[in-house]
Amino acid sequence: MTTVTKRDALKLLGGAALAAPFAGALPAFAARESELNILCWEGYNSAQVLDPFRAAKSATVKAESLTNDPTMINRLRAGETKVWDLINVNNPWARKAMYPEGLIKPLPKAEFEPFFDKMLPQFKAPYRWAMSDDGKDLLGMAQRFGPYSFVVNTDKVSRKTAEEQGWDLFNDPSLKGKYGILESDDWNVFNIFMIAGINPFKVHDAAEMTAFGETAKKVFGGAKLVGDIAAMNQALVSGEIDLHMTGGTYSVSPARADGHPELRAVTPLKGPIDGKGGISWIEITSTVNNPNLSPLATEFLKYVQDPKVAHTVAFAEGTFNPVAQMGNKACFDLFTKEELDAIQWDSLEEEMSRSAEYDIVPDYDKALEIMTSAKRTKG
Amino acid sequence: MSGAATGAPIDGARAIPPLGKGRVDGEAGRVGSGAGLRSGPKIPPDLGLAAEATLPAARGGKGTAFRLSRGALCSLPVGLTLLLGFVAPLATVAAYAFATPKSFDVFRSFTLANFAAIFDPANTVWQSFAWSLGLAVLTVVALAVVAYPIAWGLARSFGRWSGFISVLFVFPLFVSENVRLYGWTLFFLKNGVLDGTLKLVGGAGPEVLYTPGAILFGMVYVYLPFMLLPMTLGLAMVPKDLVEAARDLGASRLLIWREIELPLATPGILIGMLLTFVLAVGAVAESKVLGGQSVIVITHDIEIAFTYAQNWPLGSALALLLTLIVGALSLAALAKLDLDRILGRR
Repeated sequence: MTTVTKRDALKLLGGAALAAPFAGALPAFAARESELNILCWEGYNSAQVLDPFRAAKSATVKAESLTNDPTMINRLRAGETKVWDLINVNNPWARKAMYPEGLIKPLPKAEFEPFFDKMLPQFKAPYRWAMSDDGKDLLGMAQRFGPYSFVVNTDKVSRKTAEEQGWDLFNDPSLKGKYGILESDDWNVFNIFMIAGINPFKVHDAAEMTAFGETAKKVFGGAKLVGDIAAMNQALVSGEIDLHMTGGTYSVSPARADGHPELRAVTPLKGPIDGKGGISWIEITSTVNNPNLSPLATEFLKYVQDPKVAHTVAFAEGTFNPVAQMGNKACFDLFTKEELDAIQWDSLEEEMSRSAEYDIVPDYDKALEIMTSAKRTKG
Repeated sequence: MSGAATGAPIDGARAIPPLGKGRVDGEAGRVGSGAGLRSGPKIPPDLGLAAEATLPAARGGKGTAFRLSRGALCSLPVGLTLLLGFVAPLATVAAYAFATPKSFDVFRSFTLANFAAIFDPANTVWQSFAWSLGLAVLTVVALAVVAYPIAWGLARSFGRWSGFISVLFVFPLFVSENVRLYGWTLFFLKNGVLDGTLKLVGGAGPEVLYTPGAILFGMVYVYLPFMLLPMTLGLAMVPKDLVEAARDLGASRLLIWREIELPLATPGILIGMLLTFVLAVGAVAESKVLGGQSVIVITHDIEIAFTYAQNWPLGSALALLLTLIVGALSLAALAKLDLDRILGRR
């Protein structure tokens, strides 16, 4: 007869307790038909966007939102390709970094390319940032985009002055203590170069780096505050600051929608990137090179192309942005006058045409180091 | 004088061999579980777990070579959880600190380059360390001054209101720190609560926001409960009759405070100081939200290394250095504390 002692029972309980966390792992690995993990910028993680998809597919959808591209890409580099199904980052990373490094996989071209035909004219296939370097593979889908230079309170600094003076506003001693800086260090690197009159998207020599460092010290030294989007909008509304460096439709649209049309994203008329004064971003969403990619990944990419869903993405909580799908009349008609005003639709086309597209700074690490040091020693 | 004089009788009573019910039951259970022990050498009860290690020998070498005691067995889940949840991440951070800069070659490379970069004379990161440690020290000092009268009141004079007042101080902990700090931003903001109200009466609010002073204010506000509660506990440990006896013997208020109250409450005060110091050194939200990044604290530098710079090894080296500094300071403070006495074990 077999007797079960108290010790045996404890062993069983202990074993079960230890095994419990792994109990769900195997089935989860084996069957991912009803699960989707998205690594994205703020917006795609909103319940407004995800809940209808969850309900329609009876799926468990997890979305983690981060606020800078390098962090998301390095999550994949650190081995999280096994975790994520979709990654949503700014335009250059898919074709210039993630695809060459094997972190993402191409989309079926025949299935997805037709969606680009319904987008705004500048996104017609083959859309450069959605394609691999050799132009053969489709690496992702475009949706949200916008100009991103700086934001002014037009009651204090007119739109005309801001556009004409451009980045030189931040060289103006009379504005010392009257501006803020958005805490977005990759963009701040771009913009400090712009204020120094240097094209950020090229290799820089020692003299340019010195000018960058001096500009960084001066600009950070003259800033009233450095903070997140909420802090910037709050400071603009309260009158603590008149303008802030690094910002655009993405950051100011919530304040505009909240009844502050005097706050406006501005793109300078001219600047150091082949004459262009601003920088714009376009998000590209790609399928991760996950060995067990969820079939819902491509389903989700199709789902967000739907006019209604695209409109929801544009006005997901937190930040409001134009979407490429506004080229489709069915989508555009869903936007109210107030919504179009919040995303500065009236000047969007000209601002995009005055903006260079976000790119990779070859010597970003060095520039960031100099800028971080300047932040410490400012003033 | 007072510590030894008051502690001796209590300590003496607790040093009496374990005749208390709990201890006897514990021993009985242990004896019952090992038959070999009945014929083995008598094990002094105070040896506790150490005695368990000698059990195989006592059984004449029979049975397993090593057997965990019940206590060790019961603590196994907690031990494993700590190992996986506490030691493993720390070990990973430590390993990353010695990995090739800007790589993910953890456990596959070994270099001191990250530390060399930190100690490079051209690197200004020392300023961030200085700000963090300096602000933490100032926070602790300010908290000691602010919390002492409140703690004294809670321990001595608030009576039946003490519980309610304690809850009032603890209640903010239920609200997210960031929300509370944004609340203060609205309070101090230009045209905000303070400035707006003062303008109504013809004045103007002080420009305190986005300054190191605002950071210090935020830290003192956020960490007040962590100083207050241990300090109250420390003050509650001071025997009232001792204070009354001193008063009867003619001691002044200042003398009673200096010679009786403060020395006897010191363990609680030190624990509060230690706790708030460790928390304050790691603070970052205050410098971001209230300080507008007017200073860069070391935890912000670590955050930048792990995010925008994507230099995990450098971030880990900074984190390891900070841990070592805080650990060394904490151990030095703990060496002066008798935790057993504070927790009432002897």
